[in-house]
Amino acid sequence: MGPVEVTHLHMSVFSQSFSPCGRFLAAGNNYGEIAVFSLSSALSPDATDLSQTPILTFTAHEGPVFSLFSTDSHLLSAGNGEISAWSWAELIKRNTKAAWTRRPNYKSSLEIPEINAMTVNPTENSLVIGGGDNNIHIMDLESGIFKSVLQGHTDYIHCLSVREREGEILSGGEDGAVRIWDHRTGQSVHCIEVYKYEECARPQYGKWISCLTTESDWMLCGGGPSLSLWHLRSMSPTSIFPLSGCQRQANFYQDMILSVGEGQCVSHCLLGGEVKAQIPCTPHSLNTLALNLNSTDNRVLTVGGSSHQIDVFTNLSYRTFSLSF
Amino acid sequence: MGAVTDDEVIRKRLLIDGDGAGDDRRINVLLKSFTKWCNSTGSPEEGFTQYQRMLGTLAQCEFSMGKTLLVYDMNLREMENYEKIYTDIEQNITSAHDKISECKKEIQRAKRIRKNRQEYDALAKVIQQHPDRHETLKQLEALDKELQQLSHIKENVEDKLELRKKQFHVLLSTIQELQQTLESKYDCCRCALLRQDGLWVCWTVWRSLYKGWV
Repeated sequence: MGPVEVTHLHMSVFSQSFSPCGRFLAAGNNYGEIAVFSLSSALSPDATDLSQTPILTFTAHEGPVFSLFSTDSHLLSAGNGEISAWSWAELIKRNTKAAWTRRPNYKSSLEIPEINAMTVNPTENSLVIGGGDNNIHIMDLESGIFKSVLQGHTDYIHCLSVREREGEILSGGEDGAVRIWDHRTGQSVHCIEVYKYEECARPQYGKWISCLTTESDWMLCGGGPSLSLWHLRSMSPTSIFPLSGCQRQANFYQDMILSVGEGQCVSHCLLGGEVKAQIPCTPHSLNTLALNLNSTDNRVLTVGGSSHQIDVFTNLSYRTFSLSF
Repeated sequence: MGAVTDDEVIRKRLLIDGDGAGDDRRINVLLKSFTKWCNSTGSPEEGFTQYQRMLGTLAQCEFSMGKTLLVYDMNLREMENYEKIYTDIEQNITSAHDKISECKKEIQRAKRIRKNRQEYDALAKVIQQHPDRHETLKQLEALDKELQQLSHIKENVEDKLELRKKQFHVLLSTIQELQQTLESKYDCCRCALLRQDGLWVCWTVWRSLYKGWV
């Protein structure tokens, strides 16, 4: 077995992000590499096996790339405690020079905490970063200054979400708490401890929250406790989804909920709490799910996990093909 | 320009009937036989048979000409028919496209409605778990009434208590005054008080009491 196959065996895809034009997909793996795939050529009628491999692969960080995020012009990648920005226009031209690299101010200089989640707050044009040092750092995208630090979690942060209308940041962490922060005052407005609710808790898995997503007044969160839909105004769980395994990423899509996690399938659930379908895919355990809503031609769903292959779904009901790292 | 069209005509004719077989050859043969017949010096029967033969060939030529004209007409009409069908199908395609986009919009709307309904259901489930508002209001009203009644009773009892206290106070103060008056030895008539039959009486009263005895 050649060296490439060995690395492929141990590869896990942790993060994905679509380009703003919708024609390219960037994926980050546990070796710190980012691969850029051309979706338009992979989806075209005359696609070959070659079009399912990346047009560009480069090592972005020394540690695993746990989080990728695309703004209108740049791809932001987080790895090894630092954030690098790559211009999409340059990446398409196969130029792998980072536009900038910044590092939040960590208190301890001995250990470098990893960055698990990144999201952008569009109203303030700021980047919200959550990571292993139990704090949330907010960085202004224009100036690059780290504006504030939100402290309150007692263990590392897994996932972040932003509610633009209310100006709130939600964070879920290993300590089992979902905290809602007001981005202006920097105070924790609410703290929901999901594992304390009997209907959601699964003590055999733990109390950590690994996936969090919000849409208007609703929030999905899951991880150790079952994936549950919460109504944020009343702070009460409305539906619990009977999915075995811990969910790592969930999204709202039209009238459904798409969720991936442990288990070799993408689960489609209805808001009422029933699991409508479970679509099988190649990786045995899935880490990331991304929907390309930026483009009308390449509207696909891609999932990646503990495999070097990224499954592409053109129709949500079945796997169309797989891109290979 | 005449030469060009002639060339085309020649090319077409060669293409259609190059080897001289068919109608063209028949016309040429007819012409030749006509000239031969005109210049013939044979017997009148031969001339007549030649004449008949020529009429036959002429009839054949006319027949094939009629056939080709009909075929040409038919082709023209077929073309028109196909044109019509083509435009019809194009219209159908565009209307189908429009219908498809309409249906897509419909489906988006329906999905949104379904999502709203599901959100509503989910919230309703949670709300159902809490007790009914009317029930709680009624319970609150009943409790309010009870509270009012009890406070009335309390007021009454307190008033009574006040009254009794005052009455007892009056009684006790009168008793105390009486005791004081009885204890003080100099009473109304300022004479000494003597103890008689366990009672303190004043000297004048004692004298009047015992005067009759003496």
